[in-house]
Amino acid sequence: MQAIGNPEYPYNIYLVGVGGQGILTIGEIISQAVNLQGIPVNFYPTKGMAQRGGFVKAQLRIGKDLVGPAIPEKGAHLILAMERSESLKAVRYLKPGGDFLLWDYIWAPTAVMLGQASYPELAVVREQVQNAQGNFLVVSPSLLPNFEGNPAPDNVFLLGIALRRTSLGKVVTFSAVEEALKNRFKRFTSSNLFALKAGYNLEL
Amino acid sequence: MSKEIVTGNEALALGALRAGAKVITGYPGTPSSEVIGFLLSHPELWKEKGAHVEWSTNEKVAFEIAAGAAWAGQRALVTMKMSGLNVAFDSVISIAYSGINGGLVIYVADDPGVSAGMAEQDTRGFALMSDLPMLEACSVKEAYLIVPKAFQLSEETKSPVFLRLTTAVSQSHAPVELESPYYLPLEREILLERDIQKYTKAGALICMAQHRDLIQRLEKSKELIREMKLNELSLSKKKGQLGILASGVSYSYLEEGLLLASQFGLDPEEVSILKVVSVNPFPEEEAGTLLENSELILVLEELEPYMEKNLILLAHKLGLRRRIVGKLDGTLERIGDYSVREVLLGISAALGLKIPPELFYGIQAEKLAAPRPITVCAGCPHRGTFMAINNGIRKAGFKKDQVMVTGDIGCTILGMNPPFNTVWNEVSMGASLGIAQGYVHAGMNSPVIATIGDSTFFHAGIPALINAVQYQVPLTLIIMDNGWTAMTGMQFNPGTSEKFLPQGSKRVDLEKLIPGLGVENFWVVDPYDYRKMSEIILKALKSEGVKVILARRECAIQAMRRGERAGKVKVNPEKCTLCKSCLTITGCPALSIGEKTMEIDQTLCNGCGLCLFTCGYKALEREEP
Repeated sequence: MQAIGNPEYPYNIYLVGVGGQGILTIGEIISQAVNLQGIPVNFYPTKGMAQRGGFVKAQLRIGKDLVGPAIPEKGAHLILAMERSESLKAVRYLKPGGDFLLWDYIWAPTAVMLGQASYPELAVVREQVQNAQGNFLVVSPSLLPNFEGNPAPDNVFLLGIALRRTSLGKVVTFSAVEEALKNRFKRFTSSNLFALKAGYNLEL
Repeated sequence: MSKEIVTGNEALALGALRAGAKVITGYPGTPSSEVIGFLLSHPELWKEKGAHVEWSTNEKVAFEIAAGAAWAGQRALVTMKMSGLNVAFDSVISIAYSGINGGLVIYVADDPGVSAGMAEQDTRGFALMSDLPMLEACSVKEAYLIVPKAFQLSEETKSPVFLRLTTAVSQSHAPVELESPYYLPLEREILLERDIQKYTKAGALICMAQHRDLIQRLEKSKELIREMKLNELSLSKKKGQLGILASGVSYSYLEEGLLLASQFGLDPEEVSILKVVSVNPFPEEEAGTLLENSELILVLEELEPYMEKNLILLAHKLGLRRRIVGKLDGTLERIGDYSVREVLLGISAALGLKIPPELFYGIQAEKLAAPRPITVCAGCPHRGTFMAINNGIRKAGFKKDQVMVTGDIGCTILGMNPPFNTVWNEVSMGASLGIAQGYVHAGMNSPVIATIGDSTFFHAGIPALINAVQYQVPLTLIIMDNGWTAMTGMQFNPGTSEKFLPQGSKRVDLEKLIPGLGVENFWVVDPYDYRKMSEIILKALKSEGVKVILARRECAIQAMRRGERAGKVKVNPEKCTLCKSCLTITGCPALSIGEKTMEIDQTLCNGCGLCLFTCGYKALEREEP
C-alpha cells in the first residue's frame, strides 16, 4: 500500500456545512472508499446539538493505523465546505498549500434574514483562504445539474468535483468512490452515480 | 473475520456481544447512545440467542438491571454519558461494596471539549471514589478489543469494571477486524446466592467488612492487570531523558507529535513511553520503571490531573526527584479536548525545544462567520408551546422578565434561544421542577412555570412533581410530550406509541399517570392549536395550586420520516406584504424572505400552520393533508 511511509500521511480532510446538507455523508463515503482500497482511516463527525440547521463538521484522517481523531490547525490537505459562512470555521485548519473547495451555498440564519446580523461576502472567504496560503476553489450551486427532472444530490456532485480538482484524487480512486456509493445508496444509486460523474466531468 | 468500518460505540457493542454479554441496558446520552442504538437496530445479532437489550427509564434503573443480572451470574453491560453516572452512582457504590458474580461493565462516555453540552466531568474521579477498576481505550479498534478484557477483569476480581471512552473515540468511525460469530453467548446457570453479609447493608459490621473486601478487590485487580499486560511500557532505545505517560485519546496523538517534534531537535528513539489503559488502579510498577529511566516525565491526559498526581506521589514514595510536566506546572490545561498540539506544547516545555507557536495556530476566520443559534426544527410542536407561553404570560398581564420559566434537558431547552427567549435555565434531568419550587418558596409573587420533555419527565421529573403535589406548590408544569427521546437521536421511551416500542412492551400514558399523582388542574392540548394552547396557559397562570399541561404532539422529524405531514402551507403572493412577522415570531427554518413575498421551503415545512397565527394579512394559507 502506497500510503505507509509517505511523510504526507495522514492525509487530512476537514468538512464543514449545515446539518441536513449531507456533509457527513460525504465523509462516510470517502471513509468507505478508502477502506475498500485497504487504506486505514479515522472519520470523526461532530453533529453538535441540532437535529438540523446547525453547524456540522467532520474530520477525516487517512493512511495511518493509529491516529488521533482531530486534525491540528494548519493540518488539513483538503477543506470541503458546503455553506459559505460556515466555511470560515474551517480556515484555521487549512494547511498552507492545501485545497479549499467551497460549494457556495448560502443558508442564511434567521437573524441575517431579519437584517439583525451580517453575512460574509464571498470575497471575505477568498481573502481568508489566501491569507492561509490555500488554493481557493469555489463552485456556484447554480451549476448543479438535474437528474430525471430533480436536482442531483449536491453533496455527491461536490465530491465528484473534489476527486478531479483537488489532491483528493491522489488518495482515493474514482472507482472506489463509485463502489462505496453503490453500497451506501441501495435506492438512489443512479442519481448519486450521476452526480459523482457530473461533478467529476464539470468544466470550470 | 471481516474488516468493517464501525464507530467507537458500535465497536464497544460488538465487543460486548463477543464477550457474551446477556443483558445490555442504558439511557440515551450523547456521546454514548450508539451502543444500545446499534444493538436495537441489529436484533438479528442477539435476539434469537437469548440476550436482552433495552433503553431503561434512567441510568440508575439501567445500572440496577445490569447489576441484578451480574449478581445472577451473567455478563452485563450498562451504558451512559457522564451525567448519567451521577444519577446511577448511589447504586454503583453499593454494588461496588457487595461485589458481583458474573461480569459487570459500566460504560461511561466523557465529553472533553463539550461537543454535546453539559459538564466536562471526568469519570475517572468516580472510579477513584468507588474503588473500582477503570479501563480506557485510545481508539475504535481498541474499544472493540478491550471489552472482553474488561469482562475478564470484572469476573476474576468479582468487581464491576468501568470502561471509559471520550467523544473523539466513541464518535469516530474506523475499520476494525471483527471476529465471527459476532455473538458468543455463554451458557450459564442462574446463580441464586443467599448471603446477607454480602447482599445487604444492614449494620456497621457488614458495611465495613464489605468496604475492606472492596479495597482488597482493587488490590487484586492490580496484579491481574499486570498479568494481562493491559498497560504498555516501551523504554527508549537510546538513553534519553524524556518519559511520556499518556492515556486514552491523548496517546493516539503521540506518534504524530513525536514526528513533528523531531523536526525541532527531538530524537524519538530517546523517548520512553508508558501507555496507560488501566486509569484506575494506577500502574505503579510500570510508572516506577518509567520514573527510574527518565529525568523528566510529560503526562498527557485530558481534563483532571489524576495520573499526574499519582505519578508525583509515586516519585515521592520511591525517593526519586523528577520534574513532572503536565497541568500542575501550568503547561497544559484542565479544560477542553486534546490534540497533537498538547503533545507538542508538552514536549517543547519539557525539553525547551523552540517550536514556533505559528505551527499550532491557523487563521481565526470563524469570527467573520454569521452567528447560527440553533432553534427548534420546522414543524416542531414545541414551537407552538413556546409561542403560547410567551402569549399567555403577556395576556396574564406580566412582562417576560417577571415570570420564571425553568428549563430542562433535551430539545425543550431550545426555547432559551431567539425568537422565543422563553426558558431561563438548564440544570440536569428533571431539575426544572425542583428549581421552580425553589423560586416559589423564595417568595416569587408572579407565576412560576417549569418546562420539561416527556423522556426527561419519565427519567427524573416524576419525584419532583410528587413533591410539588404534596406541598401544593403553586406552579405550572408544561410537559412537552413529542413521544420520543429526540435530541439524542430519536430513541423510544416509556411514553412512545406502542407501534414503535419493542414487541411485548406496554406504553405508559402520561395522560393517565399525572392525575394518578394527585394533580387536580390538568389539561391535555395539541400545541399546533395555538389559540387553545394560549388560552389554557392563561387559565393555568390564573389558577391556584399545581397545574400541569400536557402539550402533546409527535416530533415532526419522526412524523415526516414516515411521510406524515400535518398539512401544507402556502404563501398567497397577493396578500403577503413582506412584513416578516411570521419569521420574527416563529423563527421557523422553512421560512425565508423572497424578493417580493415570504417563501416556504416545502421540503422542510410539514404544514403545522403555526405561522398562520402570526400573519395579520391572512397571506398564509393551509391545506389539510
